[in-house]
Amino acid sequence: MGFFDEPFDLMTPPEGRVEGVAKVTGSGKYAAEYKVNGLCHAVLVGSTIAAGTILNINTSNAKQVAGVLGVITHLEKPVVPGMADEEKIKEARFGLPVFHTDKVYFKGQPIALVIAETLEDATYAASLVSAEYREDAKTVDFNGTLGFVSLTPAGKDRGDITALNSAAHSIEAEYNIKAEVHNPMEMHATIAEWTADDKLKLFDKNQGVNNVQRTFAKLFNIPVNHIEVISEFVGGGFGSGLRVWPHALACIMAAKLVKRPVKLMLTRPQMFYSVGYRPASWQKIKLGANADGKFIGIHHQAKNGTSVYENFNEGITRVTRLIYNFDNLKAEAATVPLNLSTPTWMRGPGDCTGDFAIESAIDELSYKLNIDPVALRMKNLALEKNPETGLPWSTNYINECIEKGAQMISWKDRKAAHSQNIEGDWNIGYGMAVGAWNAGRGNASAGIQMQKDGSITVQTAMTDIGTGTGISMQNIAHETTGISKSKIKIELGNSNLPPAPSQGGSNGLSSIGGAVVAAVNALKLKLAEHAALQNEAYKNVAAADILLSDKGISLKTANSQFFISYASLWEKNKLGILEVEASSGPGAERQKYAFCSSAAHFCKVRVNRKTGKVKIERLVTVSDGGKIISEKAAANQMSGAAVGGIGMALMEEQATDERLGTLVGNDFAGYHFPVNADAPIIEVAFINKPDPNINPQGSKGLGEVGIIGTAAAIANAIYNATGKRLRDLPITPDKVLLG
Amino acid sequence: MKQEYNFSRRFFLKTSSALGALAFIPKGVKAFYEEVKNFIVPKKEQLPLTVSINKKSYAIKADTRTTLLDLLREDLNLTGAKKGCDHGQCGACTVHIDGERALSCLTLAAMVPGKEVTTIEGLANGDKLHPMQEAFIECDGFQCGYCTPGQIMSAVACVKEGHTKSVAEIKEFMSGNLCRCGAYNGIVESIQKVAAK
Ligand code: FES
Ligand code: FES
Repeated sequence: MGFFDEPFDLMTPPEGRVEGVAKVTGSGKYAAEYKVNGLCHAVLVGSTIAAGTILNINTSNAKQVAGVLGVITHLEKPVVPGMADEEKIKEARFGLPVFHTDKVYFKGQPIALVIAETLEDATYAASLVSAEYREDAKTVDFNGTLGFVSLTPAGKDRGDITALNSAAHSIEAEYNIKAEVHNPMEMHATIAEWTADDKLKLFDKNQGVNNVQRTFAKLFNIPVNHIEVISEFVGGGFGSGLRVWPHALACIMAAKLVKRPVKLMLTRPQMFYSVGYRPASWQKIKLGANADGKFIGIHHQAKNGTSVYENFNEGITRVTRLIYNFDNLKAEAATVPLNLSTPTWMRGPGDCTGDFAIESAIDELSYKLNIDPVALRMKNLALEKNPETGLPWSTNYINECIEKGAQMISWKDRKAAHSQNIEGDWNIGYGMAVGAWNAGRGNASAGIQMQKDGSITVQTAMTDIGTGTGISMQNIAHETTGISKSKIKIELGNSNLPPAPSQGGSNGLSSIGGAVVAAVNALKLKLAEHAALQNEAYKNVAAADILLSDKGISLKTANSQFFISYASLWEKNKLGILEVEASSGPGAERQKYAFCSSAAHFCKVRVNRKTGKVKIERLVTVSDGGKIISEKAAANQMSGAAVGGIGMALMEEQATDERLGTLVGNDFAGYHFPVNADAPIIEVAFINKPDPNINPQGSKGLGEVGIIGTAAAIANAIYNATGKRLRDLPITPDKVLLG
Repeated sequence: MKQEYNFSRRFFLKTSSALGALAFIPKGVKAFYEEVKNFIVPKKEQLPLTVSINKKSYAIKADTRTTLLDLLREDLNLTGAKKGCDHGQCGACTVHIDGERALSCLTLAAMVPGKEVTTIEGLANGDKLHPMQEAFIECDGFQCGYCTPGQIMSAVACVKEGHTKSVAEIKEFMSGNLCRCGAYNGIVESIQKVAAK
C-alpha cells in the first residue's frame, strides 16, 4: 500500500507527482478496481415516477435470473440500526432514507437493489424489477416554482440599502443559472465487505475517509475503528465526494444480505441524480455607485433549488460580503423544493454563482459610468480588511492579481465601447472578473515513519482527488527535513492513517501542510532525544535548531562535529522503525486576521454573428494562493478550474422535463462539459507570496478561486464583443443569437 | 429451481418485428413489451474465447453480453482501462485494437479473438515507460488520473496518425477523451513533446 510508485521503484521516474507512474501505467487502484475474493455485483433500480408512494414492487422475475443472489427493497432488507424508525432516520441526517421509506421524492430514486454473481447478471435482472405507484403532484421546474417561495434575510444588513436611491448610476438585473452536475470521470463506486459481524471494510470513492467512517459507524452502531475506508486513488470529486450518499449504504446493506463482498458502481446516468449537483439558481442584484464610481451599496437576492426531502442552501450571497467595500448591503435568500435529488457543494459552491451576478453587474455599471472595469474594481476593492468582520486581511493581493492579469492579456487592446473589434463574421471582445474565497484551515494529523537508511514515509488519511496533496506533502517534508524527495514516500487516503478533514472547500493543503510540518518537528525532536544519548549537545534542543539530511542529524548552531549518522543512531539505540504522529490546526490567528484566496480572470472571446458560436481565444487566470507549494500541480488546478468555468459559462446545463418530472439528457451526449477543443491553452500565473499567519507553509487554498469569476469574465467579454448582455447561464449559441 | 427459458434468436427477431408492427398502438406495445420482457429470462450463454491482450494469450469463458472493458476490468484484473460512461461518450476506456484506438466499452469481448488488444498495462516496455507516459508525468498531464490511461492510448495513436501539426489539431483529435479535471494544458503539451521527438 502506498500513494507512490511501487512497481517501478527500481528505475528513476521522470520528475513529477509522487503517484505519477501509478497513474500513467494504470497500476493505481481506484475504488472499484480492487481484487477481492468472492466479490459479487450490485445494480440499483430507480423509481420511474417523480413523486408518490410505492404500492408494490415485483422482484420475482429478477430473482429467477440465473446468478442472482438477492434483492433489497424497502420491504425486504437487512437491518440498519441507525434507520430503525422515523426518529432515528431524522437523527441520522443521512438525507434520503434509502430502502427505508415507501415514499418517492424524485425520479430515479433507488427503490431496489439487485445483487448477482456478475455485473451482466445483475444489470439484466435489475431491468426486470417493476413497481406500482400512487402518483402525487410533482414539479422539477425551478424557474416556474421560485415565485412561490419568499425571501428571508441572509445575514445582517449593513447600513441602509435605501441609500441606493440616491446613486448617480445603478444597475438592477436578474440572473439565472441552470443546474450543473459534477460528473467526475470516475463514477462513484463502493466495494463493501463485512470482515466480521461488526467489522466493515470499504473501498470507496469519496473526498474524506474519516467522514465515511463516522457516518457508517453511526448508522450501523459499531465503533468507528471497526470501519476501514480505503480511498487511495480518487477519480475526481469537485464536491460530489464530500457527502456519503445512498448508494454506498445500499452496497453495505447488500454485503450484509448476501454475506459476501459486494461492488456497486453507479452508471453514468445514475451519476446525475445520486451524488448531488450544483442547483439551479435565480438572483437579482441592485448595485449603485456615485458619479466617480465609488460603490454606494448592493441589494443581493438569491434563490436556489433543493430537494423536497432536504433543505440545501447554497450560500449564494456570501461572496457579496467578501470582495468589495459596500457600506450599504442587504442580502436575502430562499430555497425552492423540487422533485429532484438533493444538490450539494460543487466547486466554488455558492460563491461562483453569486460572483457571476455581482461581477456581471459591476461590468454593466462600468459601461454606464464610462470607467474601465479594471479601474472600477480597483477603486472599490476591500484591500485592508474583511468588510464583514472588520478583521484585517492577513494577506490579500487581489489587486496584484488584477494588475498582472491585465498585463498578461494586454488589456489595453480592449476597446472601451462594445462591438468595435470586428473580423469578418467574428466580433472580438475582452472581459474580466475577480473572485475570492474565505481561506480556511482544519485540524489535521500526519505521521512519519523513518527507516535506518534515512528514508521516510509521510502519512495521512486525507485523500488526493487530483489536487496534488501527495506531491505537496512530499515537497513540504523535503523542504522542512532536507531529505531528498526520492527518499520520501507518501501514504494517504486510508482511514487507518492519521485522521484529517475531508478534502474540500480549498482546505486540503492548508490543513495537511501544517500537520506535515508538525510531524517533521516531532520527528526531529525524537531523533534528538536519541542523539542526546550519544552527544549532550542534543539535550533539550528546539526543533528549529535541528537539521536533518539524507545521512543523519546535526545542529544548526554548532559545527559539523555534532553530526550523527542515522546508521549509528539506529545502531546505538537499537531502533526499528521510528514513528511519530502530530496534529495541527487553526488557532488564535483566526481571531486576529481574516483570510482569503483570490483570483482575477481575463478573457478574450470571438463571437460569430451568424452562428452565435463563442470561441474562447485566451483565458488568463492569476491568483493569490499564498505560497505555491507545487507549481505544476497548482497551475494544473487553476487551468482545470478555468476549464470548469468555461463549462459553466457556455455549455453546462442539466435540463429537466416538467411533464415527465425527469432529468433530460443525463449522459455525456446530453450534458456537455468542455472537451479539449473547447478550451484554449489556459494561461496561469500566481502572486506567490506566503501568507505568514494561515499555516506554517504559508499557502492558501486554490481549488475554488480558480472557478469563481471565470463565467463572468467570459460573459463580460461577450458583451464587449457584441453589446449583448447575457445574464442567463449557460450562454449557448441560441441565447447569443436571440440576445 | 431457476426457470430456464431458451428462446432462439429467430424467436427474438420475430418478437421484435411484432413489436414494430404493434407500434401504432402505443399502450398495447408497452404492455406487450413488459410481457415479453418477463418471459424472456434468457439462459446465460458462456462463450469459450481466446483473446490476446498485451501479447499474452488468454483462453477464457466469457458471457456473450460482456464488453471488452468489463472483461479487462472484472475478469482479467486489468483495471488500467477505465469506465467513465460505458456508452462510448468519454474515451476513458480507450485501448488499441490491432494498433488503432478503440473504445473497449463499445466492443464486445466476443469481437476480439484473432485481434491484438493493447491496454495501458502493455504500453511500457518492461520497466521502461513509453515516451508518452513519461511526457504525461513531466508535463503534469493529469490530476485525478482517471481519464489518463485513455488519454495516453489516444495520444499515442494521435501521434501515430500524424494529427499533431498544431495545438488546434491536437485538441481536435483528442476531443474524444474527456477530462473533467480539465488537465488539457498538460495533455496537449505532452503530445507536442512526444511529436517533436
Ligand atoms: S467508458 Fe467507453 S467511452 Fe466512456
Ligand atoms: S485527470 Fe481527472 S478526469 Fe482527467
